[in-house]
Amino acid sequence: MSEPMTLPEPTASQPDSTRTGPGRLLIAIYALFALAASARAGVQIATKFSHAPVAYLLSAFAAVVYILATVTLTVGSPTARRIAVLSCSVELVGVLAVGTWSLADPATFPDATVWSGYGSGYGFVPLVLPVFGLLWLRRWARRPGTRRTTAASAEDAGEAAGGGVAHGESSAPGHSPEDVVADGRA
Amino acid sequence: MLSVNGAVPTTIIVAGIALAGYALLMTALNRRMNVPLLAAVGVLEILLLVQVGIIVAKLAGGQRPAGLATLIGYLIATPLVLVAAAFWGLTERSRWGPAVIAVAGLVAAVLMVRLHQIWPVIHV
Repeated sequence: MSEPMTLPEPTASQPDSTRTGPGRLLIAIYALFALAASARAGVQIATKFSHAPVAYLLSAFAAVVYILATVTLTVGSPTARRIAVLSCSVELVGVLAVGTWSLADPATFPDATVWSGYGSGYGFVPLVLPVFGLLWLRRWARRPGTRRTTAASAEDAGEAAGGGVAHGESSAPGHSPEDVVADGRA
Repeated sequence: MLSVNGAVPTTIIVAGIALAGYALLMTALNRRMNVPLLAAVGVLEILLLVQVGIIVAKLAGGQRPAGLATLIGYLIATPLVLVAAAFWGLTERSRWGPAVIAVAGLVAAVLMVRLHQIWPVIHV
């Protein structure tokens, strides 16, 4: 709040976890869809399940996938990232499959799901979101600095630096104390 | 009364889109969260709370929409989304903080349109 606007912009420092930098935006949108899909599925299943059971169950499934992706992207540990890759993959396959299914067999979907028409009811964000999620996670999978190997020999360090430059990223030495503070509060 | 009912959601839609534009500009210019942006978020939040108040007054007056559960869900979610976005954006120390606010501004606008669809009594 009290930071003067004239502070040098800190964006030169690279994000140091999956929840900072572009990941901040990604998680915000995932959380939004987790909320939207959960609420939608909850209300529909509670009030009129028999009207369109397939659509409502698929909405509930989508909600679970979005929640899983939100949480694992926020945690960002190697295990969490693996689960996040799985969630985003399931999400991408789901939106493509359900999107096609909803167009081919509209009778099964008297009411829409989040993924109907490839997410057309949500501005096609459900179609684009897993792609960006996977791209973001891929960047982390490639980043040697995030592997906590103790055998950090000179060659490893050289390779890490080279890899970082090749992908336009810097590794651990670029971290500022501010990043740590932001991490602690998140 | 009718004009007020229509004015608030319309103002929210315009303000939400304006906030999104401003925040996106900040992201493009590589700025991080600052006081003017937070103030704009605060103004939009107040407008959203006014809108929630208007709808609650209608419900208290005995009017009921077809999808009451959905409407109540929107009433709870609408003011919370912006607050959550502000917190989430503030903990980010890069241009991506304002990007989160941009999404929240657009969501506020979309929520008003959705509210109107759920309950056409709410004029947009």
